[in-house]
Amino acid sequence: MLWVDKYRPKTLDQAMVHQDIAQNLKKLVAEQDCPHLLFYGPSGSGKKTLIIALLRQIFGPSADKVKVENRTWKVDAGSRTIDIELTTLSSTNHIELNPSDAGFQDRYIVQEIIKEMAKNRPIDTKGKKGYKILVLNEVDKLSREAQHSLRRTMEKYSAYCRLILCCNSSSKVTEAIRSRCLNVRINAPTEEQIVKVLEFIGKKEGLQLPSGFPARIAEKSNRSLRRAILSFETCHVQQYPFTSNQAIPPMDWEEYVSEIASDIMKEQSPKRLYQVRQKLYELLLNCIPPEIILKRLLFELLKKLDAELKHEVCHWAAYYEHRMRLGQKAIFHLEAFVAKFMSIYKAFLIAAFG
Amino acid sequence: MSQADIRKWFMKSHDKGNGKKPAPTTSQTPSTAKEEPKEPVHGGQENPGRRKTSKYFTTDKPKAEKETEVPAKRKTHKEPDESVKPSPAKKVHKVVDDDDDFVLPHSKKNSVDATPSKKLKSASGVGVPQKLTAIDEGGDNDVKDAESPHKPGGKGRGGRGTSAGPAGGRGTSAGPAGGRGRGAGRGGFMNFGDRKDPPHKGEKEVPEGAPDCLAGLTFVISGTLDSLEREEAEELIKRHGGRITGSVSKKTNYLLCDEDIEGRKSSKAKELGTAFLTEDGLFDMIRASIRAKVPVQEAKKSVDDAAAAPLPKKSPNKVASKKDCAGSSLASSVSHKQLESDASHARRKKQPTEHSASTWTEKYRPKVPNDIIGNQSLVKQLHDWLVHWHEQFLDTGNKKKGKNPTNSSAKKAVLLSGTPGIGKTTSAKLVSQMLGFQTIEVNASDSRGKADSKIEKGIGGSNANSIKELVSNKALSMDGLKHPKTVLIMDEVDGMSAGDRGGVADLIASIKISKIPVICICNDRYSQKLKSLVNYCLLLSFRKPTKQQMAKRLMQIANAEGLKVNEIALEELAEKVNGDMRMAVNQLQYMSLSMSVIKYDDVRQRLLSSAKDEDISPFTAVDKLFGFNAGKLRMDERVDLSMSDPDLVPLLIQENYINYRPSSAVKDDSGIKRMNLIAHAAESIGNGDIFNVQIRKYRQWQLSQSACLSSSIFPAALLRGQRETLEQGERNFNRFGGWLGKNSTLGKNSRLLEDLHVHLLASRESSSGRETLRVEYLSLLLKRLTVPLRELPKDEAVHKVVDFMNTYSISQDDFDTIVELSKFQGHPNPLDGIQPAVKAALTKAYKEGSKTRMVRAADFVTLPGMKKAPKKRIAAILEPSVDVIGENNDDTLVESEEENSSDTEDLEGSAAGEKLQQELQSLNTKGVHVQFDLKGATNSSAKKTPTGRGRGGSSAAAEKKGGRGSGPGGKRKR
Repeated sequence: MLWVDKYRPKTLDQAMVHQDIAQNLKKLVAEQDCPHLLFYGPSGSGKKTLIIALLRQIFGPSADKVKVENRTWKVDAGSRTIDIELTTLSSTNHIELNPSDAGFQDRYIVQEIIKEMAKNRPIDTKGKKGYKILVLNEVDKLSREAQHSLRRTMEKYSAYCRLILCCNSSSKVTEAIRSRCLNVRINAPTEEQIVKVLEFIGKKEGLQLPSGFPARIAEKSNRSLRRAILSFETCHVQQYPFTSNQAIPPMDWEEYVSEIASDIMKEQSPKRLYQVRQKLYELLLNCIPPEIILKRLLFELLKKLDAELKHEVCHWAAYYEHRMRLGQKAIFHLEAFVAKFMSIYKAFLIAAFG
Repeated sequence: MSQADIRKWFMKSHDKGNGKKPAPTTSQTPSTAKEEPKEPVHGGQENPGRRKTSKYFTTDKPKAEKETEVPAKRKTHKEPDESVKPSPAKKVHKVVDDDDDFVLPHSKKNSVDATPSKKLKSASGVGVPQKLTAIDEGGDNDVKDAESPHKPGGKGRGGRGTSAGPAGGRGTSAGPAGGRGRGAGRGGFMNFGDRKDPPHKGEKEVPEGAPDCLAGLTFVISGTLDSLEREEAEELIKRHGGRITGSVSKKTNYLLCDEDIEGRKSSKAKELGTAFLTEDGLFDMIRASIRAKVPVQEAKKSVDDAAAAPLPKKSPNKVASKKDCAGSSLASSVSHKQLESDASHARRKKQPTEHSASTWTEKYRPKVPNDIIGNQSLVKQLHDWLVHWHEQFLDTGNKKKGKNPTNSSAKKAVLLSGTPGIGKTTSAKLVSQMLGFQTIEVNASDSRGKADSKIEKGIGGSNANSIKELVSNKALSMDGLKHPKTVLIMDEVDGMSAGDRGGVADLIASIKISKIPVICICNDRYSQKLKSLVNYCLLLSFRKPTKQQMAKRLMQIANAEGLKVNEIALEELAEKVNGDMRMAVNQLQYMSLSMSVIKYDDVRQRLLSSAKDEDISPFTAVDKLFGFNAGKLRMDERVDLSMSDPDLVPLLIQENYINYRPSSAVKDDSGIKRMNLIAHAAESIGNGDIFNVQIRKYRQWQLSQSACLSSSIFPAALLRGQRETLEQGERNFNRFGGWLGKNSTLGKNSRLLEDLHVHLLASRESSSGRETLRVEYLSLLLKRLTVPLRELPKDEAVHKVVDFMNTYSISQDDFDTIVELSKFQGHPNPLDGIQPAVKAALTKAYKEGSKTRMVRAADFVTLPGMKKAPKKRIAAILEPSVDVIGENNDDTLVESEEENSSDTEDLEGSAAGEKLQQELQSLNTKGVHVQFDLKGATNSSAKKTPTGRGRGGSSAAAEKKGGRGSGPGGKRKR
């Protein structure tokens, strides 16, 4: 089993980071009731871990007995019926799903499926909490319509259904929903905390940790605990015993993105743009989300860029990211960004060196 | 005449409405005066002009009548009056000119040329008109005066200009044709042999000569020309009145070729002594015609017109004006006709009466079978069939009903098929008529559903029933020879559709019992609907008549109507309408409204719009949009092009726009301009995508124009130019849009990833999202799966990896998925360096393990009797591994019921479950439930329990999908 899963805190008490939040949550549910919750924070900060631990806290071990189900729902949308396939993870007392998987049909999920689930009162309530919990992941990816449909559901069925929403950025969750929830911000763990966790794992696994090595991993991890643990283990798989100056391998796709970045920096021509397009396709085909590609690409480009261009390039990256979300065919916008960058950079080079 | 007068006249002319005619007929001067008022109207607003057009139509007939009354008078007027006459003619000009301003931009040029000539003349003419000219020249503010001096040249070229402008010298008209040619050649759809692109394509200026400078000459084109595509050259020659043939014969005047490729054509030409002509030679010929021929031609033409107008001075005017009309609109033609009515064509005048009487298609519908163009043999066949029909079927019918129609060669019905407008219905009717049959026609406008069986006995009612009645009624046809014989024409049988349920079957039934011949007519013989019908019919497939045949007939019509048309133009017309005689006649009639002389260019231009209706492939469209001539395309043409396939064209553009070297970026050594343009184009393409989302998702279809503007037209307009290759060995024509393929691969990959994700979730070890899985977990997973195989000794490695896979319920497919998703071009394959033996061992070990493996996900289990595990709906329940230990209790499982508890006790499920249970006796101690949701609505569930779990299993087998529910019973211990 991967360390990242193996050493995941199982209960709120075991939490190594965000202990304060964990304790607060514990108290919150101890008092019989629990409001709707909205967990938000950067990825790898422990939202999901806390949610699962919280569920366990509320429902006891039965929260662990889950089944994964890949069901097709027939939704009646006006004139036609739509088949929506959705994976749910459910126990007796909670259902976890990812409504944004349905793409632009997420509205129907919220309107029909979630409502349906929320409507049904848990049957056997004796000795248990009188409500069930719906965990919705990635609510920030829900379309505006879906979010609007959600807010009524949240109020109407709040007697026996609680929602736990989980997302990266609360800014993309509408005000209306945010105000109906108790917002819980989960910060990215600090590097010290990460080091602590890494050392804990090292001790448990009985590893020799050269001093400074966990710190380097933590630094590389961009304050994502999951990232840190994963790359920690990657290092372990790659080379053990550790040496203090051991290279920390980047993710495969990150490597590829940085290749693209250096391609772009080296030459700005239609031909190169064409090659870059192929490479971007490659990344997309490997299921790397386009936003992440764009972000990473910008990051890599900025590393090599003169200060005076940075501002402009950032502006364009944001511009094209926005458009990418408005649009559908990510590659068009990625390519547009690259083309824009090439034209800016080329002009800059010509101005600087003639 | 002062402005006030003009205004007065203006008012009057409106008030008068029809009362216009008297003026011209009675005296010349009033007519001019009357005409003048119109000018401000035309120049000023569009509407009056338009209205007048329609007025013209209505007034047309009366006027003609009047003319017939007065001809003698007029004629007498005419000749002596010459000095007066020029003014109307000139006036016509003016009017036309003004019209042009709003009708079609191109004709302006023409009128510009025309004006000076008029001015010259008007000098000689009456003073008043001249003043007028001046006035409206001031008002119009055209460039008129700019190029006045040489009248004849101006005229000739002006004429050219008109037609060249819109129809395009090399420019526009060549655009489509040339573009298509290139599309075909390059796009690889049609392979044009090895013909190369012309070496200096588009680099030469194509001359424009007098319209008929090549008249009477026959050309053959061979090989690659220097700068023209073959299609362009053909068009050039045709436009100038030449004829193109496919092979060299005695009649050939020139063989047009730039390089002697020693082909059959050139050898034949040498044999026959045909002159060789290079492209430059052709150009020179055409150019020469402007200078040399124009005057001559003019003279000639004026002679032609001399019957009406002997004065040569006037004729250029008229010709030019006619040309104007051709190029522009009815509006102009109206005024022109009104004026010219008295001025010249006595002959033409007569016709309006007739053509308002009936459309030409009716008027010139063949009267006897021999008039039918082409397909004579079929007509003959039809004739014979009808003639023999009665002998063949009725005799037998007399003796005994339906005894021997088994004769296979004789069919009781005939099916005529062919494209629209080639005379199927006409032939059927004509033949029937000729043989004295009375025709009863039933077409798509009648309901032709299945006859109701009750009414079949003859009570009449629905149409279908009357057909039945008709065909089965002996009396109709059998009442001796005195009665007219009857034939049933079922027109448009392939149109029998939704409304006509059972129509075809009923028709067949009718045919079987029919006492009268049945002629069925359809467009598409191979239509699915007619499959059964064809067995009962004699099949006659009408072919399209050749263009020569059509041109011949059209010529007859044109002559009868007094149109001056040359044969080349008619052939072009025949070709453009794609064999549809009816449409050709319609077009001809339409054109006759506005012009009395129809030339090649007129036809081309007229049909440009209808030609667009043909399917053009997206490749062709993209070629045109990016092509050299794209800049000359009108916006609506571009929209049409990109709308030819609004999904595919943008994709093609997106795929290929990088490849174009924009002709707008000149002197761009550093490539910076091009890069800027590309960035612009890319952004615009992105806009198109955003529009598209709005259209598709929010159904904002009104945005579709904007979408095609930004996704196709902008990028193409920015980057049009020469295409170049970016990769070695790439062929230099547009690639197919890559997005579609990539998108479907992406879809597949994300499905695979989702499978893996579900398995991981089912393993209960991980709970991350799909994206996180890909972005963060995947490289470590890959390492955990492959590094041991590479480094450790075989057995240990295999053991370790299989173990790991089991922990996360990674199947072999998932293994492949992980590897697949981690492959990057130019990076080593993650599986490199792993011995095949190790791989094989892994597979083997994994397979083996599957017998004893703790099952996590339902689709891992192969059910006896089922070929494949149910993939679609997976449900797996798992216990946390911690729980496993204390788990030997025999609790009969109490299920907490769930919503779907109804579908318990599925027989299949329990049977399978029991078998499984035996099979899985040896499972390790972890509690595992697996359940299946079989595809159907019923959820059969099978639950597997390991030995340790107690025979709850048997009951468990019957347990429902409630893995969730079943779990709690067994293992609530902690």
